[in-house]
Formats: sequence, structure tokens, C-alpha cells
Amino acid sequence: MNAGMIVRLVRKDCWLMRWPLAAYILAALAGLALTVWGGSAGRSAGITLALNVLIGVSFHVMLDPVLGERERKTLAFVMSLPVTPGDAAVAKLTAAFVLFLIPATIAATALVWLSPIDIPAAMAASHQSLWSHVLGTLGYYGVVLGAWMLFFSVVLAAAIVSESVGWTIAVLTGLLFVLGNFVLQVLPTLHGVARYLRALGRGQAALPVTIACEAAGIAAIVAIVLMLQRRKTSFV
Amino acid sequence: MRDCAIQVRGVGKRYPHFTLRGIDLDVPDGTVLGLIGPNGAGKSTLLRILMGLVRADAGRVTVLGRDMPAAERWIKARVGFVSEDMALYGAATLGWHMQLVRDMHPGWDDGRASDLLDRFHLDPSQRVRGFSRGQQVKALLLLAMARRADVLVFDEPTAGLDPIVRHEVLTLLAASRGERRALIFSSHYGDDVAALADDVAFVHGGRLIAHAPVGELLGGGKGLEKVFLEHVAALGGGRAA
Repeated sequence: MNAGMIVRLVRKDCWLMRWPLAAYILAALAGLALTVWGGSAGRSAGITLALNVLIGVSFHVMLDPVLGERERKTLAFVMSLPVTPGDAAVAKLTAAFVLFLIPATIAATALVWLSPIDIPAAMAASHQSLWSHVLGTLGYYGVVLGAWMLFFSVVLAAAIVSESVGWTIAVLTGLLFVLGNFVLQVLPTLHGVARYLRALGRGQAALPVTIACEAAGIAAIVAIVLMLQRRKTSFV
Repeated sequence: MRDCAIQVRGVGKRYPHFTLRGIDLDVPDGTVLGLIGPNGAGKSTLLRILMGLVRADAGRVTVLGRDMPAAERWIKARVGFVSEDMALYGAATLGWHMQLVRDMHPGWDDGRASDLLDRFHLDPSQRVRGFSRGQQVKALLLLAMARRADVLVFDEPTAGLDPIVRHEVLTLLAASRGERRALIFSSHYGDDVAALADDVAFVHGGRLIAHAPVGELLGGGKGLEKVFLEHVAALGGGRAA
């Protein structure tokens, strides 16, 4: 791997996506502002906007810098630069995560703001230190953002490995509608899961364990993508 | 005997509906090799294998004395590649592309880039999406040639160009012969190859059916296209060899 070349390729993708990125950041900030200061109607609009930013930026990153490279025939230009397919794959993964994470971090803040955990009430009830509640909030924030990153990683893997718009959209919609409904509606009804979610809500050990599992899932997906890229024989 | 800038030995690549097989090719230092063949003959696949854009299933490719793909980054830093199906980023200016390539190629020559901008009448502040097809090809040539590459690999560089731009491109390539160790290019135009190349290779049905100095093949006063068709006919009525 050549770190210098990878950084240049990441910078290229970020520069080419700068205007859509700015729009997503503005939308995420508007969503956050509505959630915090908008009253009950504003909160509903804010959360909808935040979710749309997360879904929209996921779609955009897949279709433009990832799949669009081959579609626009710019992939041959990139691959003619002094980079290996491994450099290009790492650069693409990094750029996609950077482009996703900036607006997603803001949007996830809006989601955390609407958290079912009432932090001041929890503080009063448990008489714990402010610091432990700050850590708990950050942990909860990590769980929410980690879940979205895990979702994004699976779709990103599908885009990079399949290089197909059809397969990428199939994986994305599959995750959103099938798995999403399963997680939201079926999982909480299972006894063990409900207990786990309560533990998560209380910020117990389940919190760092969940974040660690999400991080391990993302790392495993990245490793699988890089392994599959090494087996490819055509890069244009 | 001269060193070889490019050496290809027994290279093969199998696709579901096409197979490139047993290609042996030498491009000695200081020479220009033209590849002639119909669409789907395997010219682009061969050039992509030279550039590491496609991995061969068999054989060995050596560029400037190093093996592709083992020394891929080293080779790509010294080879300029332009392909008919290569595009630049439409939303970015030519100047942005020049900066990107300059950052990645230590051999980039600002003076040479400036000369080529003047010669091709290109505006570096213009967005690429506003370029005509001819301007896009000129921009790609500029980006490949301003890096002072030792070897140039061009896949159909004059395809789809009007006669004036085609002439400009050929004139530039002929005038810059001394600046590099080798040029290998493919073309449908026998005239282009005859005007520019020292050697010519005919590719048909995934095989190299002839490889000789241009003068030798043009001995009978016939054009290269006619000579190519005769070689194909000699193989058996134009079917894949």
C-alpha cells in the first residue's frame, strides 16, 4: 500500500463530492436544529430529515464515487495512475466512509437527541456522576452511529464487490425494508433481546459490547472486501 | 541488439466469449509499434494487460525490465496510457486534472504541459464536460505526455476524431519520438500506423498473426489494411485464427 497515493485519491473523491456533501451537511444541521428547538412537530420533521440524510448520503456515495467511476469511464484514468488495485480499493473505502461519516455524525446526533433515555432523570434516579452520564450518552451515540456505519458498510461492500447498481440497490433496499422491519418489530418481542435492549438503555456493559461488535462487523466487512478485490482480474 | 522496452511472452486471457492466446511481442527501445486489427480482435485486452488494468491468465509481461503486475506502481509511474474508452471527470477543469497527475507523477514537466496546452489550444480553466470529443482526447494526451513517460501506450487514440485533430495528434506523436523509449498504439487506420510506426503487428481472433517492420509489409506498394486482409484471408477466409 502507498499511503501518499491513497490520500491523494481520497482527496480527489472528497473534492468531486464537495457540493453534495455540503448539501447533506446543511440538511443534517437543519434536521438537528428542528429536533432540538422545533417543538413536537419540529422534532418529527427533524427526525425525518435526519433519516433522509442518512439514507440519501448512503445512496449518493454508492452511486457517484463508487459505482459512477466505472459508469463514467473515469476508472481507466484512475487505474492508469501509479496505483495498484489494492491502493484504489483502500482509497475508495476510506473516501466512502469519510463522505458518509461527516453528515451521518450530525444526523445521528438528532437521533440521539430523541433517545428514549432521559439523561437528567436517569441521573436523578441513580445519583451517578455527571461524567458517567456523559460517557453513557457518548456510548449510546456510538451504538446509533455504529449501527448506521455497519449498514453502510454492507451496502458499500456490495457496491465495490459487485460493481453493479442493481445488486447494490437490492442489498440496500433489502437491508432497509426486510432487515429494518425485522430489527424494529420482531427482535424486541424476543425475550432475551428485550432484556438486552433494557440493559443497553441503562448504559450497562451491553453498551461497550455492542459498540465492539459493530466495530468488529465493520472491520470484517472491510477485510472481506479487500480480500475479494485481490481476486479480481479486471480493473476497468 | 537493443534492449526491449516491452516484452510479452505467451500471454493469454480467457473471457466467456473471447480468448487472447499465446501472444509474444517485443518492442525494442526507440521504436514505435502499431497494432492493427478489427474490433474484438484483442488489441485493447493486450494493451490493458500491459498497463495492469487486466490480469493475464498466462504468460509474462515485462515493461522497462520489470514484471507486470509485480512492479505495477513503478511501471505505471513511467508509462503514459490513453484509451478510447477513458474519460476525465466532467465536473472538474483540465487544470484540476493536471494538478492531480502532477501530484502523482514525479516526472511531470510544467513546461511541457504548457507547450501542449498551447499546441492543442486547450484552456486549463475549462470544465471537461464542455470539451468536444477531440478536446477530450487532446486533454488525455496532454496528461499522458506532460509526465515525460518512458513508454506510451495508446489504445485507438485517433478513433472518432475529425481529420484535422487526427493530423495534429499524429504530428505531435511523430515530433516527440526522441522523448521516450517506446510507443505502442492500436488503430483501425492503416495510414496512421504506416505514418508513425516502425513495426506493425496484426491481431486477429485473439492471436498475433503477423509482426514485422512496416516497410517489409508495405513492400508491394499496398496499404496496410489490404495487407492485413490478405493475412486474414490466408488464415482461412477471415475466421478467427
